[in-house]
Amino acid sequence: MTAGSASRIVNTRLGARIEPSGPRVRATLELLGALVDRELKGRYKGSALGFLWAVLVPLFMAAIYVVFLRMLVGRALTPDRVVVGVFAWQFTAQSVQAGMASVTGNANLVKKVFFPRWLLPAASTLAQLINYLLSLLVQFAVLGVLAARGAAAGVSVDPLLLPAAVALLTMLNFGMALLLAAAHVHFRDTQHLVGVLLSAWFFVSPVMYDLDLLRPWLAGRPWLEAAVWLNPLTPLLTGLRAASLDGVAWLPPPWAAAGLAVAPATLALGAAVFRRAQRHFADLL
Amino acid sequence: MGEAGDIAIEARGVGKRYRVRGHAPPTLFGRLASAIRGRRPDEFWALREATFEVPAGRTFGVIGPNGSGKSSLLGLVAGTITPTCGRVTTRGRVCSLLELGAGFHPDLTGRENVFLNAALLGIPREDVRRRFDRIAEFAGLGPFIEEPVRHYSSGMYVRLAFAVAAESEPDVLLIDEVLAVGDVAFQLRCLDRIRELQRRNRTLLFVSHALQTVEEFCHEVLLVHRGSIVARGEPAPTILRYIREFMGEGGPVYTQEFGTREVEIADVTFRDADGREAAVFETGWPMHVDVRWRARGRIERPVFGFSVKTANGLYVFGSNTQIAGVEIRAIEGEGKIRLTLDPLTLMSGQYLLSLAIHSWDHARQFHRREDWYPFAVRNPTGALGAFFLNSRWTPPSQG
Repeated sequence: MTAGSASRIVNTRLGARIEPSGPRVRATLELLGALVDRELKGRYKGSALGFLWAVLVPLFMAAIYVVFLRMLVGRALTPDRVVVGVFAWQFTAQSVQAGMASVTGNANLVKKVFFPRWLLPAASTLAQLINYLLSLLVQFAVLGVLAARGAAAGVSVDPLLLPAAVALLTMLNFGMALLLAAAHVHFRDTQHLVGVLLSAWFFVSPVMYDLDLLRPWLAGRPWLEAAVWLNPLTPLLTGLRAASLDGVAWLPPPWAAAGLAVAPATLALGAAVFRRAQRHFADLL
Repeated sequence: MGEAGDIAIEARGVGKRYRVRGHAPPTLFGRLASAIRGRRPDEFWALREATFEVPAGRTFGVIGPNGSGKSSLLGLVAGTITPTCGRVTTRGRVCSLLELGAGFHPDLTGRENVFLNAALLGIPREDVRRRFDRIAEFAGLGPFIEEPVRHYSSGMYVRLAFAVAAESEPDVLLIDEVLAVGDVAFQLRCLDRIRELQRRNRTLLFVSHALQTVEEFCHEVLLVHRGSIVARGEPAPTILRYIREFMGEGGPVYTQEFGTREVEIADVTFRDADGREAAVFETGWPMHVDVRWRARGRIERPVFGFSVKTANGLYVFGSNTQIAGVEIRAIEGEGKIRLTLDPLTLMSGQYLLSLAIHSWDHARQFHRREDWYPFAVRNPTGALGAFFLNSRWTPPSQG
């Protein structure tokens, strides 16, 4: 982004910056808004049912998990818990994938125009968040229908816990988007690695199961319980379920605090890495 | 907007080093593999020790052969490329026409893309809303402005992008070879807009291979070669130096030279209507080419010939002293012959002159230099077309 007449671009070994370095909140917000707008419109203009697909995919996935887990393990979560888990997982997985490509996919822009580069992963994450918030409406509608048919516990929205959990989840996703966007510019095989790690992460996180299912394995193995809770998705998904459904307890062990702290830590790490890596973006794209 | 005496662009010892990676994109595996083999990547300097200042309100041209570092220079000024050493300071709002429409999204309409592109250029949304009609009018898209840009032709694409950039009121405008696209009428409108920006004291940095445009618009020219700024000065002499030293022989032009050398073309000087040495000539005015020759012995009835091609190889005209009915009995020692094109009927562009000396029956080629001498033509007349026809109107008579 360029700035008003009084300012100047100073370009040194450490990268280009605008001086004086006062906040240009308005211009930054306008550009962020325009980029988010582009993400959302670009996604939904391709197909008339764009948003519908964004909701249908996790619903289908939830149905599949419920059926197969019952076949394989003999028992499964009640559908409502799977629905909450899958919608939140979808938000994370999409943010990671889209965030990773947010700089490489805009190579033209990055090479030709000077603007704060972090706005690209930010816009990508923000578009995913908007998508998630809209799909939450569908999620609660589905939960309501399930509860009415007696297939699930009642719906209860915790006005404090729900926004807090969504905010922390967004923070985690943004941190990973920054980290992976920078990594993807420097190492183009990041996407293969991320694909594998995402599926591993899906299975070790309580998306299609919850911690009750793990109880037999966790008993007597405190280190395993610590490891499970250190995965930030464990306390976040448990928190989201507790914030949305009746009868889900939110009693995190001390380890959960460490797991939750992973979210801001990821954001701090992502920001630091991105800041350093962005100097060479134009050379590598 | 620059006050007189302000420096708009200031570069101090700027260098840019690239690592040579080959064609493959960078990968973690590749990095690890070369680390294990202990191989350090090759490096090359795209630009080194560049120090220059562009005063506010001036238009600077950057010329040089392909791959000489011109585009790196622009990227460093724009802030998109990080220098390896040194510092570039650019004052005011910078807008680059480096690649028009870089920020366009194919699924968005022209209108939506205008706002997106403007946001990328740092123009407040309010200003865009106010100027939208002017932008749309300049782009001349009519109702297509509400269509997704994926349905646009490349010309429409460029027109819309230029319209946004031209309306963005930049203090510093960076232009990289973009005016080569679009139809002639649009190019003329772009050049008009550039003149208007010049009148309003904006600073322009201009990379172009169109030497006639550089000569016409620029106050000063930087000549870049192999990453170094080798000359800086008035457009005409700097362009002349570029043409003499870096084009033609060993330059980007495919040249050929052969012959027995019984007579040699020793030295060639291009002169304008006033007899001054020049590289850019004006349509409708004389152009002189002084050819100095050197003969080893006495040559009976030699013929001097020339031909002109456009830069993309179209054969425009060829003739010689025999065709022109100029009989040369014999030559010996050294001498000079002058070729005059008057009036020059070539239009704006770059051309290549070939020279030849051969025997009267074409049996012996003494010396031929094919496509050896580049020169540029500027057309100040405003007339359009492939050639300048010496036309005249008789004023209408009443009754």
